[in-house]
Amino acid sequence: MKKNFNQTSKTGAIAWLLQRISAVILFVMLLIHFVTYHFITKGVVTYAQIVEKMQSSWFNLFQFVFLICAIYHGLNGVWAVSEDYLTSKFWRITVYSVILTVGVALLLVGGLTIIKAGNIPLGAK
Amino acid sequence: MYKRTPIYDLSYYRFIGSWAWILHRLSGLALIFYLTLHIWVIHSLTVSEARFNSVMTTLSSPLFKILEVGLWGVILFHAFNGIRIAIVDFFKGSEFHRRWFYLLIAIAFVLWALGSYMIISHIHG
Repeated sequence: MKKNFNQTSKTGAIAWLLQRISAVILFVMLLIHFVTYHFITKGVVTYAQIVEKMQSSWFNLFQFVFLICAIYHGLNGVWAVSEDYLTSKFWRITVYSVILTVGVALLLVGGLTIIKAGNIPLGAK
Repeated sequence: MYKRTPIYDLSYYRFIGSWAWILHRLSGLALIFYLTLHIWVIHSLTVSEARFNSVMTTLSSPLFKILEVGLWGVILFHAFNGIRIAIVDFFKGSEFHRRWFYLLIAIAFVLWALGSYMIISHIHG
């Protein structure tokens, strides 16, 4: 059975490339995340320390990009793993929908945390 | 038609690359689970200071310190094996992928030991 792969969908290739791009971004951002939240703070992190950090608009812009990259990379990874085992259309659609819902929920909870803790009004960025 | 390798067929696991592949998947799935927890925990920041402090007290217990040491290892494995994947995919590194694996995992191991000491000794938050 011959198949013309030139005519197959390119979404898999794009997901593959974006997974690597987000990985490199995450590696650098995770390093910054660890340095700013863990290595320069002494002892157990306090409420005041975090809230003070989250007042900076620049830092929160960084956090938004970080959050989006992390959620995308994580869920794109879960989908890549799922695709290897799910062959029926029903399960593919079901799992994909669950992944999308989780993604939206994480983005909402995480995004609102950044906005609320930083006291930044919506749409200011 | 290609023949699907059964999930219980472990004959490939005499290769280091197979271990890197399966551990990358498993650590990735563990990390998306952790990311969900992490976003939920940090969300308590916007509930109230008391809520955040009570969550942080729970997370400072010895059980969570041990889990954090494990988490730090999982993050480092996924991050450094991820670099190896990028090298193999973009820079024709497949010839030396075993050497890259040992080198990067050695670096990750050193960072794991250093970070674990910091976590357990409460030097940093």
